[in-house]
Amino acid sequence: MSSRSSSSRSSARLGRSIALHLFLTPLALIWLFPLWMMVIFSTMPDRGIFSPSIELLPHGNFLDNVTNLQRGTNFIGAIGISVSVAVTYTFLSVLLTSMAGWALARYQFFGKGIVAAIILGTITLPYAVVLIPQFIMVARDFKLANTWVALIVPPLFNSLGVLFMRQAFSMMPHELFDAARVEGVKEWRIFLFVALPLARPMLAALAIILFLASWNNYLWPLLINSKPGAMTAPVALGTLIGLTKVSWGGIMAGAVLLTAPMLVVFVLLQRHFIAGIAAGAIK
Amino acid sequence: MRYQNATAYRFLAPYLLIFSIFWLWPIIDSFLISFQATRTVPWRFAPGFNWGRLIGDPAFFNALKNTLLILVIQVPVMITLAIVMAVLLNSPLLKARGLFRFAFFAPVVVGEVAYSAVFRLMFNLDYGIINKLLNSVGLPSIDWFSNVTPAMAVIMIAVTWRWAGYNAIILLAGLQSIPQDVYEAATLDRVSKVKQFFYITLPLLKPIIVFCAVLSIIGTMQLFTEPFLITERGGPGGGTETLGLLLYRQGFRSLNFGYASAIAYTMAGLAIAISLVQLWLTREPK
Amino acid sequence: MAGVSLNNVVKRFGDFEIIHGASLDITDGEFVVFVGPSGCGKSTLLRMIAGLEDISGGEIAIGGKVMNDVEPADRGIAMVFQSYALYPHMSVEQNLSFGLRMNGNPKADTDRRVKRASEILRITELMARRPRQLSGGQRQRVAIGRAIVREPQVFLFDEPLSNLDAELRVQMRVEISRLHKELGTTMIYVTHDQIEAMTLADRIVVLRGGHVEQIGRPLDLYSDPDNQFVAGFVGSPKMNFITARVLERGASGVTVELAGGTRLTQPLKGPAPEPGSKVVVGVRPEHFGHAGKGDADLSVTIDVVEHLGGTSFLYASTAAGDDIVIQRDAAEVSDAPEITVSVRKSYLFDDKGRRLR
Repeated sequence: MSSRSSSSRSSARLGRSIALHLFLTPLALIWLFPLWMMVIFSTMPDRGIFSPSIELLPHGNFLDNVTNLQRGTNFIGAIGISVSVAVTYTFLSVLLTSMAGWALARYQFFGKGIVAAIILGTITLPYAVVLIPQFIMVARDFKLANTWVALIVPPLFNSLGVLFMRQAFSMMPHELFDAARVEGVKEWRIFLFVALPLARPMLAALAIILFLASWNNYLWPLLINSKPGAMTAPVALGTLIGLTKVSWGGIMAGAVLLTAPMLVVFVLLQRHFIAGIAAGAIK
Repeated sequence: MRYQNATAYRFLAPYLLIFSIFWLWPIIDSFLISFQATRTVPWRFAPGFNWGRLIGDPAFFNALKNTLLILVIQVPVMITLAIVMAVLLNSPLLKARGLFRFAFFAPVVVGEVAYSAVFRLMFNLDYGIINKLLNSVGLPSIDWFSNVTPAMAVIMIAVTWRWAGYNAIILLAGLQSIPQDVYEAATLDRVSKVKQFFYITLPLLKPIIVFCAVLSIIGTMQLFTEPFLITERGGPGGGTETLGLLLYRQGFRSLNFGYASAIAYTMAGLAIAISLVQLWLTREPK
Repeated sequence: MAGVSLNNVVKRFGDFEIIHGASLDITDGEFVVFVGPSGCGKSTLLRMIAGLEDISGGEIAIGGKVMNDVEPADRGIAMVFQSYALYPHMSVEQNLSFGLRMNGNPKADTDRRVKRASEILRITELMARRPRQLSGGQRQRVAIGRAIVREPQVFLFDEPLSNLDAELRVQMRVEISRLHKELGTTMIYVTHDQIEAMTLADRIVVLRGGHVEQIGRPLDLYSDPDNQFVAGFVGSPKMNFITARVLERGASGVTVELAGGTRLTQPLKGPAPEPGSKVVVGVRPEHFGHAGKGDADLSVTIDVVEHLGGTSFLYASTAAGDDIVIQRDAAEVSDAPEITVSVRKSYLFDDKGRRLR
């Protein structure tokens, strides 16, 4: 009796498992398809891309495409700018927002409620709202168009990190900081040597999210750094897309160069990545 | 807790400075600029100038219509898909979970420019892989970018591909925070898996679903890069022009900052309305 | 070395007052325990002494110096926290030396102090470990060690044993007692556990709802409580409270009538309540005698008997429905439902819980 009922249970489970995989596998393949095609295109010569045959396997033209791309626009240089900007931005943003998050999590101070309310209350406003004044201010008033400062500093307003780190710090046992305080440790040292080391996983998650945002940022760099030598990689690539006489294999090689490093980071640091995105929902 | 004003503000000051200069002040400034005539220097205060033009501008209503159309179709489809992905990825029966997660989550790291380029190429009329595949199963080619409806469809498909996994990550985290014993109790009460989904999972997930929906709506509302790059500046003939694109065109092509600011504040108004709906939907029952 | 004095100390959170004027003088080298039920304000009071909470009113002085506006680190105190508050990313040695290192204390001196603390607490073999590699008792020792390293004038303990299991708690209690003898430093200790209070304290401060109910030596609190709350809080199992009614006031004292008509006459120096008013007679479980051998016999119904070996507890109820617990030597347990109350070992409280003496 019991063996029969357990075998019917396990066969029902098997049925459900098969149905699950039959549904999910094609969906996953569809989802991977654009990425796969990006890789295929990047390895094909232009006459291959624009031929009637269906090509689903990589060719050997990747380096030629990169050369074409480099000839059309100084893409390697643009990648250099993108890397430097993203690294600097990430470092500064993590530093500033975790300091602010620490203040909000740890101290009682005059105006705390107002500061928190303004940050929370404006977080869902569309970025488009500040685009025009930001542009006027940076380009006309500060005369900083086509500089690194213009790429790095204005986006530092992003308050995601403040909320994220406030949450992280307030979940730590406050007795830990009290203990250091009773021992006469200065507040900035408590922040630096107790709080930050304990927040390492959260800092990693935040850093990854911010780095990705900066790396992929398009609209602001498009507006503010439009001079050829000052473009970031996405902007440089974007200028090619509208042109008529352009190497699409080169564009695809550029897309791969932009995407592949992030995919590697994603695979290696998946846990932090997912933590960073999922934490957006924590209020 | 003791009041520690000086210490607190020393930690806050650098961020607050940036936040005020590049976020708070522009929010106010944008509002002020929207009331100024900016076609000629010096700018002058003319309250009705931009807003009056806005309510009579067919290009604005076209962009608003397109944006709302994308919102109304794309967001529900994507959220539904994201819920399905999250629930299935969370199934204990799933094998090779890592591979599936990679497939759905990988688009999250792909930049707008890179994937816009790929989609533009994939949907090319004569040589795009999509039309080739359609032909290979005996279907006719579709001229994706010369007609408004298919062009809109490409944009919605692209955005859904890029963001469904992102929402699935958030939803999956929400699913994993639901205690397992709730389901065990329901199983003992002979509640079927399907009913468990509709009567346990969905209600418990509701705040996160609403959060994802709001996030997606506000994101989609600002849609810029996709119609800018995939459908070539909102083509065909403005058929896929969004508010974001109109703002760009007015602000940075025509350098009409006042009018662009009025458009921006229309988007802000929509965002605020949607946030209020979110608050109302997720309010605690009294 | 220093004493601590509190002078009419008040704590408010907004409009909400949670400490209503506490005054207390702790002499140098004394071991004082703050005890009370959760929410009585004992931890808040301790954190105010530490400087982790603002003082809304009154004064706190340590070693004769008013400390209201002095930073925690400059008060000459060290604190042991309930959760131990060990830095999880540092080794035991780094945990012990962190505060000194951060303040630029000379390395030789830091090493000396760390070594001494680790010897006092017998944790020398654990110095390289991280907190998560330690047992609860070891973590507790490290937390105390971190306090010792500061060589403070006053030790503050905030429920330090509440996260330990029963056996370790007894062991650490003895350890802390030994430490106090060895160091001779003033110690203030917060707990909700009256056994810890009774065994550790030179003096106990009983708190309830932000009020100091009584201050005294453990045995004084036990034998001469000021009110019904203290009487019920100190001693285990709890004192029994039997409702009674005042019959008359005579020259020798006040006569009350217990359930079932039993009469008891208590000598009374102070004023007595009106005849007819309700009072409570308190008798500790260990103070019930055998019928006929005391001043007033009481017949009860035994519900359950628990034999613990050496002693037994009888759970019983009086004719009026008061639940009482009676402690007996195991050998003396009989089915006899008669017990006796002796005047010398019973207490009288009025209907507001005040002791009538």
